[in-house]
Amino acid sequence: MLGGGQPIIVLNQNTKRESGRKVQLQNINAGKMIADVIRTCLGPRSMLKMLMDPMGGVVMTNDGNAILREITVQHPAAKHMIEIARTQDEEVGDGTSSVVILAGEMLAVAEQYLEQNMHPLIIIQAYRQALDHALEALKDTLSVPIDINDDTQMTEVIKSCIGTKFLGQYGDLACGMALRAVRTVATTDESGRREIDVKKWARIEKIPGGAIEESCVLDGIMINKDVTHAKMSRKVENPRIILLDCPLEYKKGESQTSVEMTAETDFTRLLQIEEEHVKELCADILALRPDVVITEKGVSDLAQHYLVKAGVTCLRRVKKSDNNRLARACGATICNRTEELKESDVGTQAGLFEVKKIGDEYFTFITKCQDPKACTVLLRGPSKDILNEVERNLQDALGVARNLALEPRLVPGGGAVDMAVSNFLQQKAKGVSGVRQWPYSALAQALEVIPRTLAQNCGANIIRVLTALRAKHASGATSWGVDGEMGELADMNKLKIWEPLAVKEQVYKTAVETAVLLLRIDDIVSGSKKAKDGGEGARLPLTWEAWNKRGNLPKNIVH
Amino acid sequence: MTAESVLSIQGKRSSGTPVRTENVIAASSVANIVKSSLGPVGLDKMIVDDVGDVTVTNDGATILKLLEVEHPAARVLVELAQLQDEEVGDGTTSVVIIAAELLKVADELVKQKIHPTSIIAGYKLACKEACRYIQNNLTMNTDELGRDCIVAAAKTSMSSKVISIDSDFFANMVVDAAMAVRTSDGKGGYKYPIKAVNILKAHGRSATESAIINGYALNCTVASHAMTKKITNAKIACLDFSLNKEKMKLGIQVLVNDPAKLEAIRQREADITKERIEKILKAGANVILTTGGIDDLCLKYFVEAGAMAVRRCKKSDLKRIAKATGATFLTTLCNLEGEESFEPTYLGEAAEVTQERVCDDELILIKGTSARTASSLILRGPNDFYCDEMERSLHDALCVVKRVLESSSIVCGGGSVEAALSVYLESFATSLSSREQLAIGAFAQSLLVIPNTLAVNAAKDATDLVPKLRAYHHSSQIKTEHSQLKYYGLDLIEGQVRDNKKAGVFEPTLSKLKQLKFATEAAITILRIDDMIKLEQEPSKESGYQQALKSGQLG
Repeated sequence: MLGGGQPIIVLNQNTKRESGRKVQLQNINAGKMIADVIRTCLGPRSMLKMLMDPMGGVVMTNDGNAILREITVQHPAAKHMIEIARTQDEEVGDGTSSVVILAGEMLAVAEQYLEQNMHPLIIIQAYRQALDHALEALKDTLSVPIDINDDTQMTEVIKSCIGTKFLGQYGDLACGMALRAVRTVATTDESGRREIDVKKWARIEKIPGGAIEESCVLDGIMINKDVTHAKMSRKVENPRIILLDCPLEYKKGESQTSVEMTAETDFTRLLQIEEEHVKELCADILALRPDVVITEKGVSDLAQHYLVKAGVTCLRRVKKSDNNRLARACGATICNRTEELKESDVGTQAGLFEVKKIGDEYFTFITKCQDPKACTVLLRGPSKDILNEVERNLQDALGVARNLALEPRLVPGGGAVDMAVSNFLQQKAKGVSGVRQWPYSALAQALEVIPRTLAQNCGANIIRVLTALRAKHASGATSWGVDGEMGELADMNKLKIWEPLAVKEQVYKTAVETAVLLLRIDDIVSGSKKAKDGGEGARLPLTWEAWNKRGNLPKNIVH
Repeated sequence: MTAESVLSIQGKRSSGTPVRTENVIAASSVANIVKSSLGPVGLDKMIVDDVGDVTVTNDGATILKLLEVEHPAARVLVELAQLQDEEVGDGTTSVVIIAAELLKVADELVKQKIHPTSIIAGYKLACKEACRYIQNNLTMNTDELGRDCIVAAAKTSMSSKVISIDSDFFANMVVDAAMAVRTSDGKGGYKYPIKAVNILKAHGRSATESAIINGYALNCTVASHAMTKKITNAKIACLDFSLNKEKMKLGIQVLVNDPAKLEAIRQREADITKERIEKILKAGANVILTTGGIDDLCLKYFVEAGAMAVRRCKKSDLKRIAKATGATFLTTLCNLEGEESFEPTYLGEAAEVTQERVCDDELILIKGTSARTASSLILRGPNDFYCDEMERSLHDALCVVKRVLESSSIVCGGGSVEAALSVYLESFATSLSSREQLAIGAFAQSLLVIPNTLAVNAAKDATDLVPKLRAYHHSSQIKTEHSQLKYYGLDLIEGQVRDNKKAGVFEPTLSKLKQLKFATEAAITILRIDDMIKLEQEPSKESGYQQALKSGQLG
């Protein structure tokens, strides 16, 4: 019926479109594939992954988010999975591997129902219903409150979080550090709202060299700077500190000005003015008798001269964020115009100013602060890669400590709570009407992936362990889980493996909602605009073979 | 069929039936793309663009906008969806599907040797008649049904979207948000400028932890950490200039003879800004919002005065804040006398301004604004794609609520209106003896595409359900005692016919009317085409300048 049977081109020919069942299955596969990548990163017997980025840099980690951030995937559904790890990391800081594994499993169990021609929306409804019930169960029956001022209890929880990480070997040290850092930066504002901004006020500084045991939380700030002039004193006790964010040198005006010189003396006069200006700046500062002056901008030689003469130590070009932390730690106010300096702007709460040489670099320590509201976490370790991994671990630990301080409730770890929720949902499933019952109980089954993976990673007999665990939970022992070290069943109350409720809740919510979003899709249109292989690549199913071919395969390395 | 170049045209020309058929096929293929996203059991599309950015959406207009449709007739439909989006905000998928179906049946009629113009006349008549029938017979007044029906209308709009499961939660949120921005239009009525509802997205937590904030949320932070994070009884100044060191505009030079004056200039530069800040603070301002920057050296004054200063706010945000708080949006401090001054009357008021932490971001919330209320929605979700789709869905729902509130008239959804119109137009067609009868009959037939598609998407038997639905509507129109049956529509979860008035499936009347009108107009536009000339691109790639150079114009 068309003239000459010519096809009618409606869409841009470069776009590729796929729809229907195929897309749904493809999305599920992509989700599973991503989950498989980091499956071995869960639990105390987890392995590290070594990733090479295109620039040749090496990342060694078992942090789910860090791994997924580095690998480039092209399938859009796989991108979703990677995004959720990021969300988890930003929101609670821990549980990034769990969330991806769980979301992958939730997609996987939906596959059979799609093949049986069940409408995705029915599956989705069942999932949402199950999520609501699961959250209820978590909050009401399975979680226990914790006293955040109890050190031993808090340490246990943080320990079970970093037990799975490289830092696990130094458990006590790391827990102490995380706890101390979080307590330091915690503040309560006028309205009684607790605020804990770890990112802003606790800085992690890594200095290669030394042993990991030498890491510590300072009761103050460390900055990677040396004094500007060799003659300045490198150690001051109870220093008076002035913080500035203006340069101590002559700065020209912003407006364009030109000077017409008529007399010979004019030029000397100009130079004089500049010198006088610097002298005035220094005089203003010296009037307050400081011991240490720290500025975000430069300090001219002349200013240094005046300061040295007055016996004042000076640091220059400090980062803005460091300066803010300093202000909080030593109680100073950052000043911009020296003529407006007041006595109240001077920080007096620091106990010790000291410049130390570590390796061949100088570091400035401002420590022994009374009530520091900001701190530096100093990490030492044999190599940069290890330090990076330690930092990531510590970030997770900080996240856990922060969550606990904000919401002091715990659930048993080691897959115990997942099993308990799964068991609870299986019971409830019998009361769900209609076809929805099947996906509902499938979701319950999907939760078992956490204990299963734990058992798998430590080489236990999965079927035996899991059936035994199921039996335990059926008899009402909800705190039993898998001991990830030995691959045996254990009472998590006794082993003292706990997780914060906030993390677990977020894992469930994110995993279910991601599964819901991916299941709703029945059409993928890709590669609009681009004529190159981008469009095609975007739809390649993500397989190890495909990755191999493209040469961006992350290699597993046993550490 | 391609005309030999009698006309000296560099390109292809085709005319007659093939053109029309081609157009119709192009239109229906566009409709086919969006078809599966219609209705409460419709599914989403994932669109990946050339840089690999992913969009997941169910919104017809968004899907079509992101697809690069090239065929000219198909583009008409894409623009149609865009138009519906702008005018009503919802029903974009339906309008495309109806238009494509109208074209399809018209093409059949043309093949039976009926002239397009009589089809067009019939369509116009049918459209007019249909609109009249909706307005007279099918609408309900929201004032009788109360808030519930407004919530129900919002829920209907959301039912096809990713947030359908939490539609109870979001529908109430949307209605609250829309009510909060209600303003009087001065004629006794009210307007609902939904643009004043600020939607912010932050990933993390779950969708149901999204929140409505009674006030304006600003995605900025205070300029300095030392500033207070909470101010009650805020006096807000909205500025559209930087509080930086004053400097001369480009090209202005100052010539000084005395070197000492240079120092004075420098001093003055810093002082000008200081004076400005002092003026603003003196007027009583304790929250200063500016679109420009604030120099570090000025921050201290704000800190000392216990004020909050926020820099680099978006201009559109500030304008709305100025409106909501009653502040004057100032572009300069100069008054008519050329002096710089800041009057206390320029300040807006709000009960509370706080900086709060949401996810990894800090937001500034302005609560209890004095002049008029504002509202903000903070959306949470597992990832950014989810949040984006939530935003689109909520926007649609907000538009629906706005239309319902402004016109206070609704119709039943779920294919009810279409079925009723189809039955009515068929009987109307038989009452005509002119040539338009066939076209009106075709129009009636094509409206059934909506209930059909709804049923097909839900994997229900359309051939079974749709006749049942038509039967209900037929009896409602001939028997007065059955008139209540006119609210019957499809229940797609159970696969039944039910009373959609009771079930609370509502759509704004305006949306339905516009859908019909736009779809008819678009169909007519395409039907009128009987000749297509595609010009080939001219081979010469020289720029205008080179051509001009060649032709000697620039000699």
